[in-house]
Amino acid sequence: MRVGMPHMGNLYIPFQALFQRLDIDYVMPPVNNQRTLSLGVRHSPEGLCIPFKLTLGNLIEAAELGADTLLMPGGTGICRLGCYAQTQEQILHDLGYNVEIVKVGVSQRKLFGILDIIKRLSNNAPWAKIISAFRFGLAKLNALDRIEKVVQKVRPVERVKGTANKLFAKAVKAIDQADDHNTLKKVEKDYIDQLKQVARDPQVKPLIVGITGEFYVVLEPFSNLDVESELGKLGVEVRRMTFVSEWTKFSLFLNPLGVNEKDRIHKAAFPYLKRDIGGDGWESVGEKVLHAGEYDGLVHLAPFTCMPEIVAQNIMPKTKESIPVLTILCDEQIAKPGMLTRLEAFVDLLERKRRVPNNNR
Amino acid sequence: MIKIGIPRALLYYQYYPMWRTFFEELGMEVVVSSPTTQAMLSQGSSRVVADTCLPAKIFLGHVLSLVDECDYIFIPAIRSVKRKVYNCSKFLGLPDMTKVVIPESPPILDIDIDVNKGKRDLYQAIYRLGRHFTWSPFKVRQASIAAWQAHLDYRQLMSDQGLTPPQAIETISGRLETRSSSPASTQTTIAIIGHPYLLYDEHITHRLIYRLEQAHNKVLTPEMLTAEELQSATARLAGGAYWTYEEEVVGAGEHYLESGVDGIIGIMTFGCGPDSVMMDMVHRQAARLKSTPFMSLTLEEHTAEAGMVTRLEAFHDMIQRRKRRRAEVCA
Repeated sequence: MRVGMPHMGNLYIPFQALFQRLDIDYVMPPVNNQRTLSLGVRHSPEGLCIPFKLTLGNLIEAAELGADTLLMPGGTGICRLGCYAQTQEQILHDLGYNVEIVKVGVSQRKLFGILDIIKRLSNNAPWAKIISAFRFGLAKLNALDRIEKVVQKVRPVERVKGTANKLFAKAVKAIDQADDHNTLKKVEKDYIDQLKQVARDPQVKPLIVGITGEFYVVLEPFSNLDVESELGKLGVEVRRMTFVSEWTKFSLFLNPLGVNEKDRIHKAAFPYLKRDIGGDGWESVGEKVLHAGEYDGLVHLAPFTCMPEIVAQNIMPKTKESIPVLTILCDEQIAKPGMLTRLEAFVDLLERKRRVPNNNR
Repeated sequence: MIKIGIPRALLYYQYYPMWRTFFEELGMEVVVSSPTTQAMLSQGSSRVVADTCLPAKIFLGHVLSLVDECDYIFIPAIRSVKRKVYNCSKFLGLPDMTKVVIPESPPILDIDIDVNKGKRDLYQAIYRLGRHFTWSPFKVRQASIAAWQAHLDYRQLMSDQGLTPPQAIETISGRLETRSSSPASTQTTIAIIGHPYLLYDEHITHRLIYRLEQAHNKVLTPEMLTAEELQSATARLAGGAYWTYEEEVVGAGEHYLESGVDGIIGIMTFGCGPDSVMMDMVHRQAARLKSTPFMSLTLEEHTAEAGMVTRLEAFHDMIQRRKRRRAEVCA
């Protein structure tokens, strides 16, 4: 049995750590690239969203490398994602790959469901070993996200553009190679220190732009053409609430105990949207209302044909709490120059708005 | 008398007799918008972003046409009607989205239908809806029992007599003129699969059913199958439904693929989330079985009548040729 999985941002690093610690035979498909996208697009139904097409591309590339057990999130919910595993399995079979897709349930049984699957993949390793490996994976995930949060702050103010990104890439590699908790801690501290010492331009007072929208396109830079670094280059500090480590913390550990981090967002959305519409639609509307006074603008990312985000997109412009929103729909047709032009125009608008604060309406 | 507006779109085709009975039992008058027109579609689409799906735009057009005609508009948010099987986001966000994009609309009566939350919540939701008009829980209870009975009768009528929803609704209202019985010389049977709000909206499909019948075809639709047939066919192909209205696409598709009809036409709209997955499933199954011709038509507001007719004719010719060749081989 050889395990493979799709990519989403840096998520492969914690999984790699987990597989290595449990001696699971695995392959990691190449990170998302043009070939992944073309493969995914060629074999997908046209009306499906970019997360489906990219993950299908990953799974095909994993199968080419000999993987026969593929991990894919699944479960019941209102977003289409829950039924993707099944459709993708059919497509892979029709292509002649003899693979099995293991649905990693994200809606039911939460933590225990995931631990059960790891147990199965690891050929019944003892629980102590599984839990220690799982904790190590989580530690890597948390370290990555803590460094990324610092990177988001440094990008807009660094003297030499691109320094923070370079450091981040190095940090990702170092975290990937760290093989025990101590090294990991050292690496994290080391890179955060380096990031803090990056030469800054004290004159720059960056605009603050929030990023919200659908989980996958927010977290996978290949699908959104790395909108975060582009905004950083334009001198904008990016804030986002969606991090995999946050999601794991709440969804796997705290939500079953009755803590719901999203209550605040849902309450904010309530006057405009009273119910959960699946995916991240409710959160998108809520974040706009919640951060209207706090941020200068909001970038709303959504895959083309995403059902919940279309509902959110219809509701967002009509809220009383006004803040400029730029919706970017991500699909295989999106091109960098077009997106850059839109981002530049958006940032110009925000700057003008800040210069003449009384002039906004 | 208080008038309740019901848009003739989306779930109207599934539940209208039930809704009408409920409100009439409570002493209200029910107003239904007229069949879809081009003007409704353009007005509806002018209110929302371009990516919104065609049926939702048409729905908003119907709401706009009802704005001055009624005191309330009834828009339920149907989340689930079976355990662990959910509906598309657009249906869930419908009352909220309508309220936001059509601020001039009369008050919207919304009700959350979610059987996953248990019976108690469902009954409370129905009571909350009825309480707009009466304080007596007893009256609401009576109205809902009558409404449920009306719904069961409606389904029975369709599967027993092989009627389409519009025909059944007219029969119930006693307005059905003698059905132009399809010509006796029908030798070809074509099944069409898709959601009722697409199949029976003549503006969306450019009178597809009428055209097929004119060309001497017998037309079968998902409503003509029993609930058991649909359920078992869905289980065979998809291992159980993921979407609330999956059976009318996957179930009907799988059933007709194996029941030996001459051809199947799948109707979906561009950008439909659930259909893009479900229609693909049927498409793949048809390609695997290689026994029944299958054509999938993706419609949107730019679909031209002429283009669709050409594809229909080509499909029809192909089926005829196939039948002729088979007859020759047998002879």
